[in-house]
Amino acid sequence: MTATETLNPDPVMTVADANEAPARRGAFLAESGNLIGLAAIVLIFWVVLTSLRPGFISNFNLFTLSRSLAIDIVIGFSTMVVLATGGMNLAIGSIGVCAVMAAGFLMQGLGLPPLVAFAAALALGAALGWLNGFAIVRSGVNSFIITLASASLYLGAMLILSKAVTFNELPAAVADFGKLRFGGFVSPLLIIALAIGAALIVLFRFTALGREILAAGANPRAAELSGVPVGRVVIIAHTLSGALAGAAGLMLVARLGAAMPSIGQDWLLPSFLAPVLGGTLLSGGAVSVIGTMLGALLVTTIRSGLLVMQVGNFWLQLFLGVILLAAVMLDRYRGKVAERRSLGRR
Amino acid sequence: MTLGQRLIANEWSAIAVAIVIGVVGLAATSPAFLTEFNLYVMMRSFCVVLVVAFAQMLTLAVGQLNLSIGALGGLVAIAIGGMMEVLGFPIAVALPIGLAIGALGGLINGLLTVRTGINGFIITLATASAFTGINLGITESIPFYNLPSAFVAFGTARLSAFPMLLIPPVIVALLLALFLARTVPGRQLLAVGGNPHAAQLSGVHMNGIVVLAHTLSGLLAAVGAILAVAQLGSAQPTIGQDWLIMSFAAPIIGGAALTGGHVSVAATALAVVLIVLIQNGMVLAQVDPYWVQFLLGALILAAVGLNRLRAVRAGEA
Repeated sequence: MTATETLNPDPVMTVADANEAPARRGAFLAESGNLIGLAAIVLIFWVVLTSLRPGFISNFNLFTLSRSLAIDIVIGFSTMVVLATGGMNLAIGSIGVCAVMAAGFLMQGLGLPPLVAFAAALALGAALGWLNGFAIVRSGVNSFIITLASASLYLGAMLILSKAVTFNELPAAVADFGKLRFGGFVSPLLIIALAIGAALIVLFRFTALGREILAAGANPRAAELSGVPVGRVVIIAHTLSGALAGAAGLMLVARLGAAMPSIGQDWLLPSFLAPVLGGTLLSGGAVSVIGTMLGALLVTTIRSGLLVMQVGNFWLQLFLGVILLAAVMLDRYRGKVAERRSLGRR
Repeated sequence: MTLGQRLIANEWSAIAVAIVIGVVGLAATSPAFLTEFNLYVMMRSFCVVLVVAFAQMLTLAVGQLNLSIGALGGLVAIAIGGMMEVLGFPIAVALPIGLAIGALGGLINGLLTVRTGINGFIITLATASAFTGINLGITESIPFYNLPSAFVAFGTARLSAFPMLLIPPVIVALLLALFLARTVPGRQLLAVGGNPHAAQLSGVHMNGIVVLAHTLSGLLAAVGAILAVAQLGSAQPTIGQDWLIMSFAAPIIGGAALTGGHVSVAATALAVVLIVLIQNGMVLAQVDPYWVQFLLGALILAAVGLNRLRAVRAGEA
């Protein structure tokens, strides 16, 4: 089983089957190599951090780590599903905070039960994502521009409507859920994130829709010619991205016990870090769900590690930036080496 | 072609019409609009945005983008602040070093993009984080307040309504227009953005031009940072945090294509005038400042919609 769901970018050109099998195995080895490398880096961080600060694997730290990991994973997924189509979504933070403030208003302002409010907020996230997708497909303008503009638009609308006031008198059940622990340190939020991951693996591996999303990302023209409704598929991916951004925001509400207008403003970097570290291509057509989870784990580990090492949050940004650079360059280097090897064999 | 069609076909005419409507509307409804002080305030807030927009415009010209303009600006701002306050460097030393830091940051962006072949989006996202990290790590979010009085005085100096702060951006705009229209590297820059393959076949050194665009972008980000420090009278680590959307909004409203090869100094400058006008109108009308955020997004969408319409029309003709 490959961890990365790739699609042959050119389905029309079928090479002899004998040639295809080793090629596929090569891709599989490269991808699992990427995942093993990422897991090894995470493991090294854990060993070093634990030996330097035994408190790193205390139940308390593992619990806070599992909560922020859950949120980083879902933020990463939100970008990943759009990267699959070869687009990007810069509005994730804005959609997330819109869902957050809507949920806050429905619970505190209208007194609706948390489940109803959360469902409505998720629907709002999906609707805002749909709007992005619709605007991109209809106008034919680059998704970067559309989502850059809509990020500003959504954030502005949220601030105008909410007057940037935090909802901090939410039903106690919300914060209680955020404080729940299983087995001493596992937050239910992490279980939700893993469940979403499992659902995404099923989507991209076993459903026609998932394969169509990847096909549209790999080669939109070829996909169109093979009968994939590319426009509709792109809109669906953006809708999914919006719903996932809303989900990440709501998980943050459970963690904080409040709906704050400042949520989401620092999501841009982690949203790209997790999928890109995990081997998802910016050009579309390939996603790695497990890679995104490992990428998010690396980000969370570094953040938590700097905290327990008391390096301070100020240097965190530098570390994350340098690690992203190192990861993409390593990936590029590995690709070149693999290319050279296969050329040599011929 | 009728006059109307010609106006629609021209990329800055729509902006100019919007500006005229805005000016007339504001002058009619708000008596404070045409006062000397308000004009001074408006022109002063024009300065930084204009240079920041040019910084992005240069990367857009070669079909690249630069997410690190704001982060680099923040780094240059605290660097010149620290050099002048803590190290006691004179202005004439601190500012050139600040410009050099900006150019160096841009050079790093360009070299990384060209050498690795990785999308400029990811590279500059990463370097933006790194620049911000260095900024926050050095300052721990504490601004430098004690800057040389001559430098701070320049930020507030004015000749009736005309702020002295406007002189550097105007010079930058003229040099940039000259560079893009009349010099070999300027033409090559646009050629690379317009059709990389054709440019390469015509003997343009592609990678060198991309690196040049990134380096100039970093240099302009540094100019923007210096102007921002002079405007504020202190070197705030937060300088540049709100540049991202502005830097894209102005060139795109000015008709720049993300695919590169098509930028306009005049249209970008007009777009900045429009943005500043909207901001000023919001303040005068005492509307929630959050509306600026909302309208900026709407304006970008309207501009790309209009550009799209124009392209469709041109295709039909």
